[in-house]
Order: sequence, then structure tokens, then C-alpha cells
Amino acid sequence: MRREANGSTMLNLTINGRSVAAEPGDTIYMAARKAGISIPSLCVSHQLAPFGSCRLCICEIEGQSGIPASCTTPVRPDMVVRTESDRLRRHRHNIVELYVSEQPEGSEMSSPLRELALACGVDRVRYPDGARSKRASVRDDSNPFFTFDNAACISCARCVRACDEIQGTHALTMIGRGFPARPAAGAGSFMGEAAAFATSNCVSCGACVKECPTGALTEKTVLEKGIPTGTVRTTCAYCGVGCAFDAGVRDGRVVQMMPADDGPSNRGHACMKGRFGWTYNDAPDRLRVPLLRRGNDWEEISWESALDRVAQEFTRIKETQGSDALATISSSRGTNEENYLFAKFMRCVIGTNHIDNCARVCHSATVTGMMDTLGASAATNSIQDLDLTQLIMVVGANPTESHPVVGAKIKQAHRRGVPLIVIDPRRTELARLADLHLQLRPGTNVALLNAMGHVLVKEGLLDQAFIAARAEGIEDWIKTVSDCTPEAAEVITGVPAHLIAQAARRYGSSGASFCVHGLGVTEHRWGSHGVIALCNLALATGNIGKPGTGINPLRGQNNVQGASDMGCLPTYFAGYQNLDDPKLAALHQAITGRPLPTKRGMKTPDMWDAAIAGRLKGLWIIGYDVAQTDPNLKKVHEALKHMEFLVVQDLFLCETTKFAHLVLPGASFLEKDGTFTNLERRIQRIRKVVEPPHGILPDWRVVCEVSNRMGYPMPYRHPSEIMDEIATLTPMFAGVSYARLDQHAGLQWPVPTAVHEGTSLMHQETFPKGKAHFVGVEYLPPGEAASKEYPFVLTTGRILQHYNCGAQTRRTDILELVDTDVLEMHPADMVGLHLRDAEIVRVVSARGDARLPVVGSERVMPGHLFTSFHFPASTVNALLSSSADESSKCPEYKVSAVRVEPIERDELDPEDEAELQHMRRQLIT
Amino acid sequence: MKTIRCYLANDTSSRAAGAERLADAWSERQELQLIRTSSRGAFFLEPMVERETPTGREAWFNVAPNDLPRIVAGVGGTPVAGIPFLQQQTRFTFANFGITEPLALDEYQTRGGLKGLAAARSLSPEAIVEELGISRLRGRGGAAFPVWKKWQVAQQASSEQKYVVANADEGDAGTYCDGMIMEGDPFRLIEGMMICARAIGATRGYIYCRYEYPAAAQAMRFAIQKAREADLLDSDDYPFDLEVVSGAGSYVCGEETALLESLEGRRGVVLAKPPYPAEFGLYGKPTIVSNVLTFATIPNILANGGAWHAFLGTEGSRGTMAVQLGGRVKQAGLIEIPFGLTLQGVLDRFGGGMAPGSRFKAVQVGGPLGSLFPESQLDIPICYDAFAEAGAILGHGGIVVYDHETDMVELARHFMAFTADESCGKCTPCRIGSVRGREILERIQRGQGTAEDLFLLSDLGETMKATSLCALGGRAPYPVLTAIEHFPNEFARRQG
Repeated sequence: MRREANGSTMLNLTINGRSVAAEPGDTIYMAARKAGISIPSLCVSHQLAPFGSCRLCICEIEGQSGIPASCTTPVRPDMVVRTESDRLRRHRHNIVELYVSEQPEGSEMSSPLRELALACGVDRVRYPDGARSKRASVRDDSNPFFTFDNAACISCARCVRACDEIQGTHALTMIGRGFPARPAAGAGSFMGEAAAFATSNCVSCGACVKECPTGALTEKTVLEKGIPTGTVRTTCAYCGVGCAFDAGVRDGRVVQMMPADDGPSNRGHACMKGRFGWTYNDAPDRLRVPLLRRGNDWEEISWESALDRVAQEFTRIKETQGSDALATISSSRGTNEENYLFAKFMRCVIGTNHIDNCARVCHSATVTGMMDTLGASAATNSIQDLDLTQLIMVVGANPTESHPVVGAKIKQAHRRGVPLIVIDPRRTELARLADLHLQLRPGTNVALLNAMGHVLVKEGLLDQAFIAARAEGIEDWIKTVSDCTPEAAEVITGVPAHLIAQAARRYGSSGASFCVHGLGVTEHRWGSHGVIALCNLALATGNIGKPGTGINPLRGQNNVQGASDMGCLPTYFAGYQNLDDPKLAALHQAITGRPLPTKRGMKTPDMWDAAIAGRLKGLWIIGYDVAQTDPNLKKVHEALKHMEFLVVQDLFLCETTKFAHLVLPGASFLEKDGTFTNLERRIQRIRKVVEPPHGILPDWRVVCEVSNRMGYPMPYRHPSEIMDEIATLTPMFAGVSYARLDQHAGLQWPVPTAVHEGTSLMHQETFPKGKAHFVGVEYLPPGEAASKEYPFVLTTGRILQHYNCGAQTRRTDILELVDTDVLEMHPADMVGLHLRDAEIVRVVSARGDARLPVVGSERVMPGHLFTSFHFPASTVNALLSSSADESSKCPEYKVSAVRVEPIERDELDPEDEAELQHMRRQLIT
Repeated sequence: MKTIRCYLANDTSSRAAGAERLADAWSERQELQLIRTSSRGAFFLEPMVERETPTGREAWFNVAPNDLPRIVAGVGGTPVAGIPFLQQQTRFTFANFGITEPLALDEYQTRGGLKGLAAARSLSPEAIVEELGISRLRGRGGAAFPVWKKWQVAQQASSEQKYVVANADEGDAGTYCDGMIMEGDPFRLIEGMMICARAIGATRGYIYCRYEYPAAAQAMRFAIQKAREADLLDSDDYPFDLEVVSGAGSYVCGEETALLESLEGRRGVVLAKPPYPAEFGLYGKPTIVSNVLTFATIPNILANGGAWHAFLGTEGSRGTMAVQLGGRVKQAGLIEIPFGLTLQGVLDRFGGGMAPGSRFKAVQVGGPLGSLFPESQLDIPICYDAFAEAGAILGHGGIVVYDHETDMVELARHFMAFTADESCGKCTPCRIGSVRGREILERIQRGQGTAEDLFLLSDLGETMKATSLCALGGRAPYPVLTAIEHFPNEFARRQG
């Protein structure tokens, strides 16, 4: 044995006469695979635990009479293995012959089996033709994205194991035993139902389809359009996990999106949206030409005149009303390069810092809160740290729906025995699994987190050595939490004091506690305080700067991290550099030839105020449907109506385009090159997979063209040149280049030099400002509380199936699964209001009202309501106030006081009526 | 006025033989005190009624209700000690059978019960395992793995939670000794499991009882309740709790990993080993899964010392074997003897020859997956090594004798069909192979078989043997291939 550099003890064995190194715990099959020795197999998967079903990977081991399966046999030092011999060949022949013998007559054999038959010399089946026992004819087409055909199945259970071990949904099982054993979805199969997938709890992550060795499970897009003839590695454009995909192309069209096994953040896994929700790319209503408003109509105009128009209008407004009358809201779905260019356009061409991005409405409070305490605003650790952690604490996040690949990984850790604490008003999937679920009242995070701090202090669970060496201001925090007893917190939060104390003890003493938080922390009146309170806990217990620990915000959109990193913020330049930094100013002048404006710009909500006040006249919005997704929609709409010139760049017409003067079609992530930065700070390439619809320019080209027209040439030929410029201006990206990104499958910032490997774990030795800061924050009540008039607290959020405003997901077959927002209400409240499932109700707040079908759900507490905001027709955000976090302006999406009223039947039009019937049917099945 | 005390077995086999009919018929007889005991296992004599006499018990065989006057009069009885079938046995594990009331804890104790546990309590866990090492006890469920080795692995595994599981899924046709123990001497199983729990540090035990043994499960539940009431389970510094769980009727759940899956509430499917249950068993915790008979053997070993046990039997097979003899012999029943007697010896000494009108054809040892032996091979001694050498298994000790009327093709088909029915469906050779094997045999039965089919059976059989995941697929070809080997004419005759 010898010791490898990484600390694991390697051992050597001989396979087919070759000396092969393996790690203890490897199976023979794994060791062989690593050494490039292939052993026939159908049921083995490196993603799954050893199983041993097909028995094709049998081997001979010297000194052993039997021939065990190499996929289940662990390596031993110095063992001598043979994977080829006459005996093994004979048995493999016989096994493949058995597989072939059960193929139904007339059905085409799957190609992997056909190839195996050829390789093993199975040219005929010796079992007589009349054998009655063939695979049963079972087909399940009920899933919108893939089909199951039992004829091609070999009953290896890889699909079932994938659902269990990778996704953790347990939607599949093998049914029957012996010969007819086959996979099936859900309980429906036991009642002979063919459409079992549709009625099961399957989440359509596609792991089963990916694992299927024979194509018994196949994507419908592949069945319809054919198997891919080539693939392009790219990064998913949905949530912030940043899953790597191989986009399968055929005849210039995408036919498949296959999660990449070597994807650093997803390791081969995916979710419904990334795996199947990409067909919007070919949606018939994709915008193809620029549209100019003519009254209530759109006029199709040429790109030339559209670009001219933008340049003219912006020049006019700048000249007549000054730079401050113009603003842009950039897209956290666009690439880093586009975001950087957009910010550069505002700063160098317009001369203002009035630029923001939609992080404002999700994680701006994280930026503020983490900056104040840790001095850097991004996940401190990496997704892979979930493999190393001793405890996971999920605060105000629902990753199994909003970040499903991270959610699946948390479930994997939990199945391995890692304790799970969930702090959430809702009984989410993770809350149901959790060891401790602290079901607090919405808006009371700070009270609860401070009480945990109180317990840590009182019970001596502080990491004194870490605090002394790495942080300042502990006294301030101790003073703040000193009277935050769990008993006092129980009164505010509704969480029993002993649970709070237990959570504190477990978090503080696990050895490595990994905290993830989401918008349930940030989207509050005091959201940045919530983030600060979390950071205080991590600092107090030394859960930062070490593997398996940290504060890890789950960024909501594919590049919401990057949009902020690139300086699409009114308060920071790229890399969170201060706008008044003289060194930066000099460098900026030298590189861009223009001065860096130092005056802070407007945050998005300030823009609405400025517009209504008549100070803001021109606005450019890229890929962000503010008119559907921002809070207090009445006000947003009002502000947009005030614009002299509103240009919107998007893939589709949307709520915001209704107010636009000019609409520019955008290129999707499948149609351009660039980079996204995921929630663990990993900068990853996206690559052009297919051509955009004729003539469409990627966003970065649009910015260049407008800039050129306004007298500031942007002569970039490729996004890589933009990245090179970012690297020169931004120390934390100094070592980033396309060449290195290609080579390393992404880089996690900071990447300070061209030889730096990137930073998977931040703050190991110091914090950006040297020491971290404790900041005592006191609990303050949310902006609104339930009242007699508005007795419910409404929280909005996302569901698994849809993504934000739904512009993409609503244009896919996901619509077959979920085609409406619903209001979730506790069954006790349903009884109190005499409501029935699927009844359409009116939700009324002080700002407005929305119509939604109501369903009884124990995911919410009595008095609490939840709904998603994916469908414009719901106008859910009309209910929301402009209340926002003081320092970050992150809106209070999570707390709105509302009442619920039944709608009289005669108020419903026939369309509503049909909708209602449809809902009922869905609920029943 | 109860003057006559009689004994009548109360276990399932005796009831099947008519014991209950006697009890019902005699229930009004005031002068009779009928004590319901375990069965001695001489089933050919059941229902057997015993009566206490000054010189020991006397027995009346195959009793009918109207035999009572004879028994009351003391006429025609045979001294129990003089029944050759019993007299020639060496009963240790089954020493209480026919003597005690199964649920009388005091009787169990009076006859030496709980001494093993007491001894174990005076020993360190390591010393218990050492004692087992000295005893050279091998698992009685079929795999014959040295018990001490398994216990040592579980003992050394560090885990806060460990389990002891009794495999009471006694599914081999023709075997019943586990059922007898559970119904007839349940405290012995409890005692054995508690010794194991102490040795490995387990705090919880399960008895996984086959669905078809309701009486055994019921008896175990009563016995556990009694043990609990007597503070037997939680005494000393070792808390231990025990529960009976009924299976769902699957043969393959007798395989330990499938058993644990079933116990966890999952499909009864075999898992690849390693990891072995001793390291990673029930709910992923170190778990000893042993056969009921194995556990029941252990109290005597601890009470009498490992050396006492090692003194019995043959070199590789120490102690006694519970042979369960059935089929077309005169005397069927349970036979506890030291290892080493030949098959022929068992048939002669205990079987008493063939049933009237029957001529010997073959004997199958080790259940439905066991090999067939023709007359010429009956000199094989009953011990693990000799059987392994012959490519056969002792299994759980079931011996079934077939007579001249047995159709060997049908017998072979029956066993392959059994595997096809019971296969869990996980591994290909067993899932598909057993069905193809059955189909070939059906074709031969229909007279459509060819010489190539026999070759195919053997070729398929070799693949099933070599590549199946567990013994179900791996042993399934043995009865078929030994039938073809020893009775080739019966197969050749059917060829089309």
C-alpha cells in the first residue's frame, strides 16, 4: 500500500495482467473502469450503489473458485483478477441469450442489447420460439416528457435506484417478482393503471431515463426528433445551481438535454426544468423581429432602425434631461459578459450608476448582510461540501423545489444520516424529513436566530478560539442576544423554546454545520438583519472557512450571482469594488477611456419612485418581467407608464412589453456564448448550441451596436474578449479566461491570478477585510401583521414545475403538469371559510386583489397562505406592498396581510368555469 | 377429582395428526388431567398420549378417542425410554420436547434453562465469543458459517445500535425443527438471542417468522410477554427488547439480506454481499441474523462450555444435527443426533425402512434446492464437509425420501418451477433462467424434448450455479441436474 497525496491509502491489484491502483472501498468494476478496462455490464452505474442484477460483469479471482460480479466485489490488495476467459465468455453468452429470449416477438431489440448480443456471439436463442413467457406489453406514456416501454426493459432496477438514491423521491418501484418483475411508478401501478407516472409523485427529474441502459425509458423529444448526432457542453439557464448539460443536437435543433456526469455542481443530476423545460426555445411565439409601438399595435422594424432608435432616444434624453434621467435593469439570466457590458454602457456611455438587476428582489439582502459581517457576498462553501458536512440547516429555503439538484443532494446527505434542521413557516418536503422543523411565524427569523445565539452563549457552545482569531464585535452580539431567551422567542415565533434550544445545540456542536438560506430569509422587511443573524451564528460557532460549513445563499436565477458580480448594481462596480476607490477610477479611465461615475445610482424601487416623480424618463430592461414579478404591481405599472422611452429585450412578449415603446428579441442561452456564475461562485461556460432565429443578435451585440451608435465604440468580436477586460478590471476575476474556464470546467471566484485554481472554500485564513464582524441585530416585526380586516399572512414563492414569471416554463410541456397558480390554505381554515378544494377565491390586500383557486394543504400553518407567482393571470404581486428591507430594498414578498373571500358563481365567466372544472379533475386524480 | 395426569403434544404437527380431536373428546373427563406439551417429534406415533408412572412415562401411540379406557387402565403402554426412534437420539437442543409445557418458564428453568444466559452474564462479550469459538458451532440455517466469526464482526463493529434477528422463515419443504422450537421450547430461542445480544451489544431483537407459522408466532409472542413480565429481557445492565414479525409468504426471504429488507418493510429482494449484515444489516446497523436452530443451540453451549459441544460430531461439523426425516419412510420425524451418521444409517436406524408398498428411489437432502442421492450414494456421512465435497448441501437438515412411483422428470420440473415462482427477480440467471429451465422440462414432459435440451439444461444450469446472486438461483439446478445424472433413462425415454 502507498499513501496518495490526497491522504487516502491506495492499493494495487492486478486486472487482466495489468497492475491497477484502486482506493479501498472500490469495487473491482470501479477499479477496472478507472484503469480503462471495460467489463460488460448493463445494471451497473457509477452514480448508484453496487447492485448486482445483470451478472454480466462476472470475473475470476485467483484463489477463489466462484465467479463473483465485479460490480459488487470490493478490491483487496494484491488480488489477481481476470475479466475475460472462456468460462466467463460462456456464462456471459448464456445471460445475454436469456435477455434476448424474453424480448417480445416483433419488437425491435434495443441497441445496447443488440450490440451486447453481437459482442457475446448470441446469434440465435436456443430456447424454443414458442416460449410463452415474454416481457409483458406495458407502456406508460403518461409523463409529459418521457415514455416507459416494458418491451425494451431488462428489469435491472436502475431507474428505481436512480429515483431512490439520486433524486430521493421514491416514485418508482419494481412490481411483481421473479420473471415478470418490472419497474413501475406510483401506487397506481398496483391497481393496473397504465398512466402510472402521471399519478405518481414523480418529479420528472429524468434521472431514471438517464440511467436506463436500454432505452425502455426514453425522452419523447428523442422519440419524435431522433437521437442526437452531436452534443455541446453548456450550463443550464434556470436556477442558480448551474448544472452542466450536454445539449444533444440533431439537424440544427436541440433534441435532448442530458446532465453531465462531470458537471461540478450537478454530477449528472438535473431537475424537470433543466432536463425537459427547454422546448420554449422552439416556441412558435418567440420574438423574431424588433417591434415598435404604434399606438396599441406593434410595427415590425429592421434591426438597423431598432438600434438607431435606441441610440437616438437615449441620446435625446441624456442631452435634454441629463444622465440621471436614464436607467437600466439588467438580467440575471443573461451572461456575465452581457451584464458587464450593460453596466459599462451605463457608466461609460450614459455616465450614471443607475443600473440594477433582479437580485434586488431576491438576494440583495444577502449581499448587504454578508458584506456587513463577512465582507463578501456569496456562498462561502461549495455544493460538494454537502458530502462533508455533519449537519445541514436550511433556513427559509425550499431547495427540493427551487434548487432541486441541491435539494436532492441534501436528501442524499440526510439518508446517509446527516442531521437536518429546517427553519421555515412551511412544512416543505425537507421539513417533513427534518430531524427538527422549526415552524416559525413568517417574518420572525431574527427573533429565532437570536434565541439560538442566546442558547449558544448561555451553554458555552461558542468557538472561542475562532472568535478570538477571526472576528470582532462579539460583545455587541452577545449584548443583543442576552435577553433573547428561547422562551421569549417562543412568544414571537410560535416555535417551542426547547426546539430552539435543541437546534442551537445541534448547530453549535455538530463539528461542521452547513447552512443554506433562501428568500425566506431575505424577502422581508428586515431581510438583511436575518442574513446578519445567520452569519453571527456561523461566526460564533466557527462554522465558516472550514469544509462542510458556511453560509450558503441559494441564488435563485442562473446568473443572479454573476449579474451582481459584474457590477450591475447602483452601489458597486464589478467585483463589489467601491465606486469611489481612486485606484479603481484610474484603472477604469485607463482601460475604458471614460471616468467611473462615483455617485451611487438608483435601486429598482427607487427607479419606480423617480419615474412617478418625473425624474426618470428612459429605461432599458433586459430579460426581466418587472410588470409581473415585482411587488406592488399597481405602482410598477404606473411607473412604467411614465416612461418617455422604454425598451425591453426579451425572448417573448410579456407583461412588461405591454408598456414598452420598443421590443428587441433576445437570443436564448442555447444560442450564444458566454458565462454564468452559479450559487457557489463557479463561473461556467455556456456555448452556442444552435443558431438563433434569423437575424437575432445576442444581448451583448445589441449593447455594442447601441454604444457604437452613441459614439463609444465597443469593438468586441467575441464574449471571451469581454471576459478578458473584466479580468483586468476586477481583482477577483483576474485569473479568469475562456481558455482556463474550458480547461477547468469552470472556476470559482476569487481567482486572483492566472495560475490560481479558484476558491471552493472562502475565508479559510482571513476575511476580505481581515476580520469578520459580529453585528447585533434586534428583532423587529414585519411590515405587516394579520389584522381583523386582513386576517391571513400570505407568502409567495416558487414551485418545482415553474420558474419565476413562467415565461419559459409556460411554453413547455410542463404546462401539462401545472397550468395555474393555486392558493394553499390550511384545511382548518378551509373549513372555517366553508371553502372547497379548487374553489376560486378572491385574495384581497390593502393594495389590490387576485383570483386564485384554493387548495387545502398542510404545508402551511393555520392563518398562513402560500401561492406561487408563475402565471400572469393570477396577478398575485398586485397584492404585495412596497415594503422592503431598509438597507437593500429587497421587497417583503414573504409577508402580506390579506383576506380571502369566496367568489359568487355568477361572477365567473364561462372560461373561469371551465378552468374550475379542469382543476377539480386534476385534484381528484 | 383429577387423578390421572396425561401428556399430549400441542404443536401443529400433532394437531394435524389428531391431538386436538382427543383433547376435545376428553375435555369432559373429570378424572383426566391433560397436560399439553411440546412434541417429541416422533410424528409417525402421533397423536401420542403419555402417562406418568412410577418408572417414568409410558406412551400410547396413534391414539383414538376411544383408547382412553386403555390408557386410564394403564394397558398397552410403552415406556418412553424404550422407543427406539427416541432412545437412539442424542437430544440436547430438543431435550425438553414432549416433556415440558412450552410456555412454562419455571419448567424451562427447572430443566436447566437460563443457565446459559447466566453463564453469559458472568462473561465478558469477548469471552462469550471465545466460548463459541471453542464450541466450533456452525450456523444451522444452511450456509454453515462459523458462528463465532460472525459474532465477532458484529461485536467489533462500532455502532450505538445493533440488532439480533432470528431467521424463522423456515421455508424448505420437509423441514420443521424451527417451528417446533418456537412452538415447543420458545424460551430456548429467547435465551439464545439474549446471549447473542449480550455478546455483540445489541439492544433489540426480531424474530422474522414465516407467514405460514401462525402458531409459532403466537407462541413466541406469549413467551416474550412472559419473559418480559419475569423481567428476563431487561435484567442486569442489558436492556433488550424482542419482537415477532411475520413474513409475507416469500421463500427467498429466508435469505438473510432479503429477510432484512422485508423486516424493514421493503420488497423481499436479495442484496449483494458484502457488506454482510454483521457489519451493515438491519437499517444499516450491525446485525446478527441466525437461524432459530442456531440460537437454540447456544444456551447449552454457554451452560456446558464450548468444549462440551466441540466434543460431539465430526472434525468439521461439531455438535448435533436436527435431521428432519420425511417422505416415503415408515418413521418420519425429528432426529437429533451428532454429525457423522451416514444417510443410510439415518434411513435404517430411524426411518425404519420404506413405507408399506414403497421401494426406495432417491433421497433429497437440504430442501427444494438440495441434491438427489440414489441408493448407491447413501453411504455419505451427514456432515458439512462430505456434502460440500459431493457438491451437495445439508441445508437446514431436511431429508425427503422418494419412492419408485416418483416421476423424476416431474420432480425436476417441480423444483425448477418452485424457483421460478419464488425468484425475487433481481438477478437475470435466476429471473429468466428458472423460467427457461422449467419450460425445457415441460417440453421434455410433453415428449418434445431432444438431446440438445438436456445439454441446454446443463449449460443453463451451470450458468445459474455460477452467476446467480444468491443460493436460490445458484442451487436451483442441483435437484434437476442430479435427477438427470442419476436417472438419465427417465429423461431419455421422454425424448421426441
